[in-house]
Amino acid sequence: MNPATHKMLLRRVSEIGSLPAMPSILQSLGESLSANPSDANVDRIVELISYDKSLAAQCLRVANSAMFRRRNDVETVKGAVVALGLWKIRDIVYSCTLPTLLSSPKEGMAPTTFWRHALGTAMVTQHLAQKLAITSLEKFYLAGLLHDIGIVVNAMLFKNEFHMVLSKAAGTETPLCEVEQEMLGFTHCDSGRVLADTWKLPEEIAHTIEFHHVPTEEGAGIELACTVHLADLLCRLRGLGYGYYEARAFDLASEPAWQLLAASHPAALELDLARFTFELDEHAVHVEAMVDSIFGGAKVHA
Amino acid sequence: MPVDILRTAPTDVTDADLKDPALVKLRDLIYRISGIYHQEVKFYLLATRARRRMTVLKSLNFTDYLDHLTTRPNRDAEMRSLLNEITIGETYFFRSLAQVDALTKIILPKLMGMKAKQSFKKLRVWSAGCSTGEEPYSLSILLMEQLAAKGKEWSFEILATDLNDNSITKCKEGVYGEYAVRNLTPDRRLKYFTQEGANFRVNEEVRAGVKFERLNLQDQTKMLFMKGFDLIFCCNVLIYFDGTAKKRTVDHFFNGLIPGGYFFLGECETLFGIYEQFRLVHFPGTTGYYKQIPGEEAGGAA
Repeated sequence: MNPATHKMLLRRVSEIGSLPAMPSILQSLGESLSANPSDANVDRIVELISYDKSLAAQCLRVANSAMFRRRNDVETVKGAVVALGLWKIRDIVYSCTLPTLLSSPKEGMAPTTFWRHALGTAMVTQHLAQKLAITSLEKFYLAGLLHDIGIVVNAMLFKNEFHMVLSKAAGTETPLCEVEQEMLGFTHCDSGRVLADTWKLPEEIAHTIEFHHVPTEEGAGIELACTVHLADLLCRLRGLGYGYYEARAFDLASEPAWQLLAASHPAALELDLARFTFELDEHAVHVEAMVDSIFGGAKVHA
Repeated sequence: MPVDILRTAPTDVTDADLKDPALVKLRDLIYRISGIYHQEVKFYLLATRARRRMTVLKSLNFTDYLDHLTTRPNRDAEMRSLLNEITIGETYFFRSLAQVDALTKIILPKLMGMKAKQSFKKLRVWSAGCSTGEEPYSLSILLMEQLAAKGKEWSFEILATDLNDNSITKCKEGVYGEYAVRNLTPDRRLKYFTQEGANFRVNEEVRAGVKFERLNLQDQTKMLFMKGFDLIFCCNVLIYFDGTAKKRTVDHFFNGLIPGGYFFLGECETLFGIYEQFRLVHFPGTTGYYKQIPGEEAGGAA
């Protein structure tokens, strides 16, 4: 983001109020997890999650849902931590907690639409990274989940303007960020970066949030940004988008992000992208069930 | 038989069937041989159709049936019978609305933009393996609607071919039951069909754009003359060909398209591992294949 946009954005945020605070559970969890995974205090993490009964129940439901489930159901938070590992538990807690930030339909984009896109992108990012045989996967799900967090900022802080942005984007079947740039002078990538800095998110994730639409930009999170970019496109093409038709076609294998990943991950050349897309549709059903569960408290089924 | 009738008809498919790991193996085998991918949500249909073949063969479970398809002497014939079951009832007017959107919002504007400078403004379409005619007539309706707004200098021509004489006769009759027209808006039914009792007859103006011919896609000489198409559709036909025949046929389609033209398969079919020269293109909710223009930058399909 150029310095002028950054300055303008900070000024506008301070005029209106303040950025949404990071949910406290995520702060505490972040501190507990920032240590080397082998040093992390499992009991402390279990205690943190179990403190909020409804969150604990929600996490167990999600841990047992088709998106995360291992062979056997887990019945306790501790059981879930042991069975799934700390990174997955972090992903689950984030998945259950973040939607509380934007849960009222007044902000212009239906919360279920937005979180389906966020959770869908998280899941596809992780699957794609697995298919590319990327080895350290810890941040992929989370980067996918958070990539559009700037939309939350725009929807909450710039409510009326964002509402107009959304109507225009839907009416003209145009990508959201183009209309944001035109009408607001900044995009959700910019406001997301500001929030990521405020929340002190890891640099790779902050980079992904800022550059997921121009993912080959040099930086610490370049592979993460490229993977999220492709997952984001795929989700928007397969019914997990922003709830309107975007009149665009993609030759994914020609995308610079794809080529950058393929250059260092030869598994990309073997990947059956058409089949991957069909598999994405299968997962989309689980994502929808999970979002319905988070908002409606309904049971998540396979 | 209509899909929705199949779903409600009594069947011996059980929950255990749907969870049988052999069903996943069956799905993967069908994908490998035919390129048709059954998503989990379609396992019920897959199981129903396989069960129908299993009744004929007195095969009691999917594992045994897989044996019929892989190791028994009549395995090729059995796979053909299964594929016949799988593709029954696959055709009706405006079957894929995502494809209709891709055509009207993305592909036709692009093709027409490309041809706008030519003095001869005609779109040429080939429906290869047109079965009973629903696909070419749908295309005729769509092109009539799309070109009407563009002025009189634009015209189109649809060539519809099938190997089966009975299919061609049925196409020329142009009379369809309720099932075939179920996806049509009431406006389109009224405008383009004449109701005759329980049936619907395609009106003359829709017929005028379509030419029907018997053609064997394996006839190498005739295939050499199929040239100059902007769009080629070949739905659920290649699945019956072996690897070499598939490759040869798709090569004819590739050569039959103008550079910048598009090729479409059935909704669940892919070309992965069969043919490399096309670019896979993702449109919202559907995929197609694109023939690049020489010298065009990668991603020209988009």
